[in-house]
Amino acid sequence: MRVGESIWGLTWRRFRRSKLAVIALVYVALMALVALLAPLLAAPAAPVPFGPNDVDIAHRLEAPTAQHRFGTDDLGRDVLARMIHGARISLTVGFTATAISLIVGSILGALAGYYGGAADWIVSRLIEVLLCFPFLFLVLGIVALFKPSLYTIMIALGLTSWTTEARFVRGELLRIRDLDFAHAARAIGARDARVIFRHLLPNALAPVLVSSSFGVASAILFESALSFLGFGVPIPTASWGSILAIAEEHIQHAWWLAFFPGVAIFLTVASFNVIGDRFRDAMDPRSD
Amino acid sequence: MLSYLIRRLAYAVLTFFGITVAVFALIHSVPGDPTAIFFSARGRPPAAILQHIRHEHHLDEPIVAQYVWWVKGIVTLDFGKSIFDGQPVMAHIAEKMPNTFVLNLISFLVAALLGVPIGLWSATRSGRLSERASAVGFFLLYSLPSFWVALLLMQFFSVKLNVLPLFGMTSDDYLQMNAAQQLLDRVRHLILPVVTLSYAELAIFARFSKSALTEVIRQDFITTARAKGAAPAAVMWRHAFRNALIPLITLLGLTIPYLISGSVIVETIFQWDGIGRLYFDSMQQRDYPMVLGLTVTTAVITLFASLFADILYVLADPRIRFEEAR
Repeated sequence: MRVGESIWGLTWRRFRRSKLAVIALVYVALMALVALLAPLLAAPAAPVPFGPNDVDIAHRLEAPTAQHRFGTDDLGRDVLARMIHGARISLTVGFTATAISLIVGSILGALAGYYGGAADWIVSRLIEVLLCFPFLFLVLGIVALFKPSLYTIMIALGLTSWTTEARFVRGELLRIRDLDFAHAARAIGARDARVIFRHLLPNALAPVLVSSSFGVASAILFESALSFLGFGVPIPTASWGSILAIAEEHIQHAWWLAFFPGVAIFLTVASFNVIGDRFRDAMDPRSD
Repeated sequence: MLSYLIRRLAYAVLTFFGITVAVFALIHSVPGDPTAIFFSARGRPPAAILQHIRHEHHLDEPIVAQYVWWVKGIVTLDFGKSIFDGQPVMAHIAEKMPNTFVLNLISFLVAALLGVPIGLWSATRSGRLSERASAVGFFLLYSLPSFWVALLLMQFFSVKLNVLPLFGMTSDDYLQMNAAQQLLDRVRHLILPVVTLSYAELAIFARFSKSALTEVIRQDFITTARAKGAAPAAVMWRHAFRNALIPLITLLGLTIPYLISGSVIVETIFQWDGIGRLYFDSMQQRDYPMVLGLTVTTAVITLFASLFADILYVLADPRIRFEEAR
């Protein structure tokens, strides 16, 4: 460690050493830009001159051409335009669902770790029960019961995937709740809530934040799975998974419908996983 | 040991009630009573009939009484009747379960028998290029969406090369075949679903066994074994591998819900007649007794698996006691 270097500076310096991680980070940044600028990128008179819902029956199921670079779907919509707009759905769901699980997991984990006893017992049993359900059954069930929409998907994914975060935070708080700075905070009269949220949680959050990159990856994966199964964002809104659902119907002759959105999902999910993995290694005090 | 077993069983019973409360709370947190959900897709019947249905299903009783009726049903394996065809939910589940079991068991074995050796091997090559390449490889495998892999496999092997069946469990002329042909036909139908269901699992097994072995190699008794002059291969085989395999037992409980989740996607795409596809179809038909029955059944299966894994773990490694296992 260099003199005067913060933990984040050190982590970043180690992270940068992995070329793959830097490529993944650049790719994710590009995807975020595409998602942000989607209405400017894919619309009439834009670089990709088609809107995501511009139907053109005369050109349905066309293989990639100079005009439709990723081909067209069963209604003649431009696949590239739909993918550009689909990036918005994927990233929105990925980040929001992870934020929800981060908040829920941190609060429950903090209560369990700080108070121990009954609070710990209840949270631990809750996690045990949640882990018994096959994840997709639970998410599919919640989404279907409360009508599929962008919001139900984000909430269902967020409320079912906080167990990792909760365990992390619980463990960290158990470790640091009796350190001197925690006693000091209590000694000057800080209330429990202040001790937990001002003093302890910020010190426990770094590893959790890093691992939430995996959470984003899995939320994107599950959103596309839900859309593929027809329980995702309602049609005609473009989503990578729903393009793949159309691809399944035309599997005999339209390879481009399956190929391009799948590559997009795979690269995005893989990037978030690689980023999480390399950040975790970079923060690990046991590595050099 | 006995007191551990008793406590572990008590927790399992508790978790079982947690599962039932969670599912019951979920269904009751939907606005309106269950009849509203049941009939939302089919139009509401007249008030008198509705009253009769509500009475028959105990929906006119207090919420706690409703819960008790519901749990009584579950304990006696009675999940009610399918709305779609009026047959008992349990009969449907029992009919489809063997198909899912076969598919999941084969996928589990493929994943374990390939993933564990690969993981152990890559842990012994720590720091070399092959180890780092395999670590990235596991990640990429793990990031592949299964439904996309399924589509690509179908496109390549079934449509382009036409060597494997597109979907289904048997061919149309299955009944006219002799025994050997029937077996071959079944195997041919299994290949693509098993590949789709097992590759991500394989990556998990490989990563898990790799980190388990890496953990063991760091410990003092390995250094001791090396210091006393044992051959490197003997250290690996006699000391390290055995201890690295013990944590794999926990994967038994963890992977079952994972496999069942995957079954929903794989069985739907390949039209495999198991509980994953049954769940998906019931969801589309809004057959809620079926959905509830399947959710509780699969959660209870997971519960048994993790109970079994925990007990096995203690038997395999006497150092572990209940509190540490938490």
